[in-house]
Amino acid sequence: MNSMDSTKGKIGLKELVAIIILNVGTKVADNTPTIFYEAFGTAAWIGILIIGLISLIPILLITKLITLYQDKNLIDIILHLFGKHIGFVLLFTLCILQIFTNINNTSIYTDIIGTMYFSKTPTVVIYLLLLGVAAYGAKKGIEYIGSSAWVMLFWICLSLLVILSVVFVQGEFNQIFPILGTGGLELVKGSYQNSSILMDFLYLALIASNVKSATIYKKGIWIGFVIILLAFVLSLIGYVMLFDYYGVRMFDYPYHETIRYIEIGFLNNVELLFFPFWLISSFIRFAFYLYLGALLFGAVFKIKQFEYVVPALAVFTILAGLIPESSVFSMNDFRVIFLNLITPIFLLFPCLLWITAKLKGDFKNE
Amino acid sequence: MNNIKRGSLMLFFIFLIPLLSGCWDQTSIEERAYVVAIGLDKSKSDNENQIQISYIIANPEFSKKEAMTTEPPMETITFDANDINVARNKANTVVAKEISFNLLSVIIVSEELAKDKNFIRWMYDATKEREIKRDTPLIVVKEESTKFFKQNQPKLESRIHKYYDLILKYASKAGMIPNSHSNLGRYYRITQADASLFLGIYGTSEKSEYKRSEEEDNFMAGQIEIGGESNKVQFMGSAVFKEGQMIGTLTGEETRAAVLINEGLNMGSIIATYKDPFDDRYRVTTRILQKEDIKIKMDLKSPLPTIDVSIPLYIDILSQHSMVDYVNDSEKRERLKQSIEEEVTNTYNKLIKKTQEEFKGEPFGWSLIARKEFLTIKEFEDFDWMETYPEIDVNLTVKVNIGNFGNQSKVPELEEMRD
Repeated sequence: MNSMDSTKGKIGLKELVAIIILNVGTKVADNTPTIFYEAFGTAAWIGILIIGLISLIPILLITKLITLYQDKNLIDIILHLFGKHIGFVLLFTLCILQIFTNINNTSIYTDIIGTMYFSKTPTVVIYLLLLGVAAYGAKKGIEYIGSSAWVMLFWICLSLLVILSVVFVQGEFNQIFPILGTGGLELVKGSYQNSSILMDFLYLALIASNVKSATIYKKGIWIGFVIILLAFVLSLIGYVMLFDYYGVRMFDYPYHETIRYIEIGFLNNVELLFFPFWLISSFIRFAFYLYLGALLFGAVFKIKQFEYVVPALAVFTILAGLIPESSVFSMNDFRVIFLNLITPIFLLFPCLLWITAKLKGDFKNE
Repeated sequence: MNNIKRGSLMLFFIFLIPLLSGCWDQTSIEERAYVVAIGLDKSKSDNENQIQISYIIANPEFSKKEAMTTEPPMETITFDANDINVARNKANTVVAKEISFNLLSVIIVSEELAKDKNFIRWMYDATKEREIKRDTPLIVVKEESTKFFKQNQPKLESRIHKYYDLILKYASKAGMIPNSHSNLGRYYRITQADASLFLGIYGTSEKSEYKRSEEEDNFMAGQIEIGGESNKVQFMGSAVFKEGQMIGTLTGEETRAAVLINEGLNMGSIIATYKDPFDDRYRVTTRILQKEDIKIKMDLKSPLPTIDVSIPLYIDILSQHSMVDYVNDSEKRERLKQSIEEEVTNTYNKLIKKTQEEFKGEPFGWSLIARKEFLTIKEFEDFDWMETYPEIDVNLTVKVNIGNFGNQSKVPELEEMRD
């Protein structure tokens, strides 16, 4: 019985990897690529590699801390290192950021579904359905999210692979030139500004204690990291091969334009073949986001059974997400600014944690 | 316990059913009118901002195999409107169904409108409409599109959506029209990049003066004399677009040559005829295969930029009326090779001259290859490919490899036979 208790509510390596891939990986299918093409032109794929390189340091530091404090998650570590008061402020900031990100992303995804697929359905209804399903998943807990992510992972990856292989056959490879895109200095600058694309790796530390062990956590993070970079690089090259950098900059959602453009043999309208997979990965993604939001909220306001916050949080997200008049512009613009704003937090916060741990002398126990 | 579980699962699935209807976006097939072709013409009214739009609406009943109807296969409506999108609602004043572009096969534009400087504005309306896909082929017709639709009565394939699919597929296989990939997406992409020229499909139902030329395919659509009782519509050649506006045409042969040296456009095997070096009266029919990629070398950094193109062609001989024994005589084969090489080089030099002097831009997609020579987008934009191309020195070499000589490689010696 005891051994069962210790693994209850915990996820293993495959669930963790699935969560990482579905949460960060789905970004290749929303408006993130457009941000990349704006900043890097044809060199968007180099941009994500530089971002990966920049993010290595914070991710490395975080995993170091997680392996140091076994069985503790980011919340415990923050409270341990900074004490009650400063810890509260930090967690509160993280919580606000997470909720903002969620509002921003859900509203963009609602817009995708509304403009690209269900143009006559009112936004409220799409929003309600999207978050309704996500909230149901989030309420069930991390185990549930993990296993549904794992079940769907194969199919979602398969659909992406099929799309990419068709794109690579139909596209023109020469369109990825000029190879350096907007140029060397711009590349580095843009990569720095947008490196918070991988901010999720910081938030993933929040569920570290839900993973079976710190070693599994570490392994999962790096496997997920590599797969995500690979997916990003291939898709970013693929979109440019199909539409050229100038055209792809004009799109709001390149992935959806791609699945509408490609032809597979005799099949017309293949987007309907891929849309469901995208939809499911979005459900899982927002379930996880809502779960994280509730987890942080619970930590800030000392709510033990934080799962009960999920429905309220979902309703708040819908209400806040519906405020902007035209979500394509306001939310996409907001996202660009927001990404630039939170970049220093993503890069510096792990350093701050690590230095504090070092100063406290916690590393000596190793 | 198990029963309760099963029951609740059942309930759950029942509640899922309403979701399948797709909420507000559900429409039943019978209530939709499927537009398979959109025609765009200049408006006859004085209002410059309006265009004349025609819809060809297919009759889905007609495709049913078991219950043939007496209804016609399609319906055409024409009216003036501000753009493609608003036209949808206007169409509902006569069509009793919801207009849908889901099965749109082609967009047909009259040459007159395509040459208008405002043409690009109407083309970009199509990007706003969700149901118009970027893989829709763009066809330019010589006459008004309404007239084209009226004349277009395919005899063997009366299901109109199938007709467009098939004729574009096979005409492009023959290399007569640029390619079925000369679609809206390509139009936007090339126009936006502002470096190359876009080739649209050219067609007509109007017969112009027949041109009888010794070359097989040096025609535009409408110039080929085709007897019998076939459809009047012909697709041949291409419409050249610069910066989104049509500026000229290429004949069938020129189109084929352009497609051959464009890396982005793949073609199947095409049949062409060349002069027989041993007898001026006859031409040799050949099947051209592109087994190897063409090689293009660019030197753009020097003050006098040059492009070296080498084109490897694999040629099968299909007929030879001179009855010369090419199979056993390697010297004669060599001469045939040289003669074809010369002829092809000539065609290309003429075509390149035409693009440099008349169009001042290239439709070969070479700008993409040129991009390899530059490191950053800014460098490439400063070079200004479109402006520089007319000044570039293009050197062309054609290398012909002769493959087989048809199923039966040998032909009898005429002299001996007639003896």
